[in-house]
Amino acid sequence: MSTVVHHQDDIGALPRRRALRVAVFAILGLLVFRLYQLQMFYNIELGRKSTENTLRAIVREPLRGYVFDRKGHLVVDVGPSYSVTITPAEYDPRSLPILSSILGMDTGAIKERVQKGIAYSRFSPTRIKRDISFTALSDLEEHLYLLPGLDYQVDSKRYYPTKAHASHLLGYCKEISDAQLARLSDYYKLGDLIGSSGLEASYEVMLRGQKGYEFLAVNARGKVIGSFEDGRNDISPQEGFDLILSLDAGLQAFAESLMTNYRGALVAIDPSTGGILSLVSKPDFDPSIFSGVTPVEEWTRLNTDTTKPLFNRATMTRYPPGSTYKMVLAAAALEEGIIDEKFRYTCYGAYRYGNRTFKDLSVHGSVNVVEAIQRSCNVFFYQLIHRVGFEKWTEYGRRFGFGQLTGADIGEETQGLLPSADYFDRVYGKGRWTQGYLVSLAIGQGELGVSPLQMAVYAAALANGGTVQQPHAVQMIRNKFTNRIEEFQQHTRPVGLSATNLALIREGMQRVVNAPRGTGRAARIPDIVAAGKTGTAENPHGEDHSWFVGFAPFEQPSIAIAVMLENAGSGGAKAAPIAGLVMEKYIHGAIKRYRYTPRLTPLVQADTVKVITEAR
Amino acid sequence: MFAYFKEYFDFKVFFVTLGLVAVGLLSVYSATYDAGAGLIFQRQLMWAGIGFVGMLAAAILPLKTIHRMAFPAYVVSLLVLLALLVIGKTVSGSRSWLGVAGLGGQPSEFAKVAAVLAFAAFLSRSTTLISDPKHLFAAITLIVIPMGLVLVQPDLGTSVVFLAVILPVLYWVGADHFSLAAILSPLLVAAGALFGTSFFVASVIVSAVLLYVSRKNRFIAAMAFAVTLAVGLSVQFVFERMPSYQQKRIMTFLNPEADPLGSGYNVLQAKVAIGSGGMFGKGYLKGTQTQLNFIPEQWTDFIFCVPGEEFGFLGASIVLVLFGALLLRGLTVGSASKNKFASIAAVGITSVFATHLLINVGMSMGLMPVIGIPLPFLSYGGSALLANMVMSGLLMNFWANRKEY
Repeated sequence: MSTVVHHQDDIGALPRRRALRVAVFAILGLLVFRLYQLQMFYNIELGRKSTENTLRAIVREPLRGYVFDRKGHLVVDVGPSYSVTITPAEYDPRSLPILSSILGMDTGAIKERVQKGIAYSRFSPTRIKRDISFTALSDLEEHLYLLPGLDYQVDSKRYYPTKAHASHLLGYCKEISDAQLARLSDYYKLGDLIGSSGLEASYEVMLRGQKGYEFLAVNARGKVIGSFEDGRNDISPQEGFDLILSLDAGLQAFAESLMTNYRGALVAIDPSTGGILSLVSKPDFDPSIFSGVTPVEEWTRLNTDTTKPLFNRATMTRYPPGSTYKMVLAAAALEEGIIDEKFRYTCYGAYRYGNRTFKDLSVHGSVNVVEAIQRSCNVFFYQLIHRVGFEKWTEYGRRFGFGQLTGADIGEETQGLLPSADYFDRVYGKGRWTQGYLVSLAIGQGELGVSPLQMAVYAAALANGGTVQQPHAVQMIRNKFTNRIEEFQQHTRPVGLSATNLALIREGMQRVVNAPRGTGRAARIPDIVAAGKTGTAENPHGEDHSWFVGFAPFEQPSIAIAVMLENAGSGGAKAAPIAGLVMEKYIHGAIKRYRYTPRLTPLVQADTVKVITEAR
Repeated sequence: MFAYFKEYFDFKVFFVTLGLVAVGLLSVYSATYDAGAGLIFQRQLMWAGIGFVGMLAAAILPLKTIHRMAFPAYVVSLLVLLALLVIGKTVSGSRSWLGVAGLGGQPSEFAKVAAVLAFAAFLSRSTTLISDPKHLFAAITLIVIPMGLVLVQPDLGTSVVFLAVILPVLYWVGADHFSLAAILSPLLVAAGALFGTSFFVASVIVSAVLLYVSRKNRFIAAMAFAVTLAVGLSVQFVFERMPSYQQKRIMTFLNPEADPLGSGYNVLQAKVAIGSGGMFGKGYLKGTQTQLNFIPEQWTDFIFCVPGEEFGFLGASIVLVLFGALLLRGLTVGSASKNKFASIAAVGITSVFATHLLINVGMSMGLMPVIGIPLPFLSYGGSALLANMVMSGLLMNFWANRKEY
């Protein structure tokens, strides 16, 4: 090179210049050699493949993961279902009438599917209809020679072997929508199923598994002439991961039957882990409606039903909790040193604040904090909130997890509404609301919104000694990729209550259920000391909402529960007996009493007997 | 007048670049011919025009200005990459497009140029001593920062290009063999660890031999080996503790045959496309594999199949020869430059082109794992085309100013 110059130092020294030049030649040599090898040497073989044969990638669907309950019972099963596919490049529109009559599908719908398939690839099969019947399948087999480009493939389909619906917890899968497809087209294809609510949605990536591919050599007329390179390039599908839930399927079925005829929700939690034992939202639906093809009528019926069966009342409703919320105020007052166990207040059956009178249900006389909880004395708490103050009341609500998401792994949830001074300033304007607004909040009325799930977390925190647990339905995941079982690690957070103060509150709750003048005596369980609190939330939409939160056994709680029944009446009469039965069933494994509580409606009693016999 | 022009205007780089861009436009047109995607071709044509202006601008800017701009441009590119991680839009699985005033752009393409220039500027400083390990470490850090930012996007392909610049450039500036071996061996062992136990063991043995042969001081060589081993083991340690979806993502990078999207399928079809081209190809717009859309997204990563199938061995070889001419010219420019910065930057740019060529063409022919980096000048992509043409313009600039210290 005439242009060679010498730097003062080592930059671009001659031997290194030569070495890099050699490296460039080596790269070029390698690439040209490979090009020669492919184009001149393998040309005949590869050329034949491209002119006579076409290569087709057939998707092999993975099995979706199984779901087991805490006792190892299979809750969600998978089985085969047959889907019809069309390869657009080979499809002959003249066969449309036959196809439409076999599948019982509108010709327009078939055409639309084929068009969408072309947009993806003309050479790969696209699903036309999922979950066809065996008669349709055999019909199809018979007429296959008339239907070029048509084929069928095996997909998986959900089955629900237990009596429990658990529809809002388990969720369901739906065929992927166009909007989702546009976002997620790197894995999903037209006609694929995707988890669309509940656990099916939140654990979609784990449950779905990985698709496999089979490469087939196909001749120009669309006939498969064998596997490509003896299947050396095939990729086998990988099964989805299994979920092992903290759910107790027997308890779930029992709880669902107790909730028949009510609109409402029930959430039971293992207070030591936050694991969800049962989650009921009524009215519900049978999840198997969604397991194959959902008939349009079914879908419209569920969507237009005025009782909203698809709506998850356990996590999405925000109703005032009524008196079940009194323990928050009691905790704030005790922990901030505003009252102690000796503090007494005399209830004359009403409380005056400003020019308004707030009534109580009865004249309770002189009560301390334990008795105030036991007998649900409103006046005691009316006066208490002014001593505690708005700010502390909000703070303790927040500590128990209200006004924020619980972080549950079951999909959608509301954070509810926990008002604060800032919130009222925003809504009403600064100085345009009064301390009188606080009086209703003291007894869990007014602008306070909680979900039954949040209430269950709150009950669990009172049960386990003051720890807020992230509720979760999945306990373990069987990772089939690494062949290991991964445990769910829940977040926990202490409420920050001293043991003595917590003991006072718990004593009050114990007396609610067991003492002679407790409001929740209907939740009593034979042989077991339970604790709880009733709530009767007034609302403008008719009858009161009936609430009960509680836990059992008192000393070593293994279950915490929240029950909410919309417009059902008082908490002590309606919600408490259901909570008592569910806790008893969980602890004893069966109901031991001979007479179910007299306040249950005859229909529910009959149902209860039925479930108990089935569960045994 | 013409003689003067000839002396300072780098006709080779200029015409080779235009030739490659022309082949690229033909290929993109062919690959999108039936999909009715005239839009893709028109956009690429527009970007070629913008790139042409960028190339000339890079060629006529004063060399000193480019040198001075290297660090500020580098800092800006880092900030943009950082911003990208926060607000970037996701295009085909990674956050590398930045919507600037409605224009899509891939900042990592420009970050590549800026990193190479900053690397060169640092190494060309009279105070930088390549024999000083601290300086060596600082220089490598300059590349590793943008590489890391690109890697977490996640864009493995482009981050590999960043890494691939380090060794040739350090070799060029005279780093001793031991330093090079000490840089290479952790990379080798880390890669080996991800591919599996046997690869890991093999890479450890190769590293040990490299370090032993190039050693100057037995103790330092042993230390370097210890670091190498530690890196290899920690890769496995970290990998095993990653959430499974991340593990899977990495496995897919390394072993595309396991990719459910079927990168394996792409490679098979690409091989069939190129192989069926034969000596003279099937003729322009007549390639069955190309025209029947057998290769998904062919106009980006698998563009080499178009000349391969439609112009055959002859046409594809011409493309490779054009690239060869560009690479050799880049080395010549590096040798001819009296300016240290220009000399180092020329070799850096050449390394970028060489890495893209080797990985992209290698991947179309089943030689390399499918890590998705474009073929310079040919693949569809506006920012990449502009960045590549600017790099050609820089080579022309360095040639014109080769006599300037």
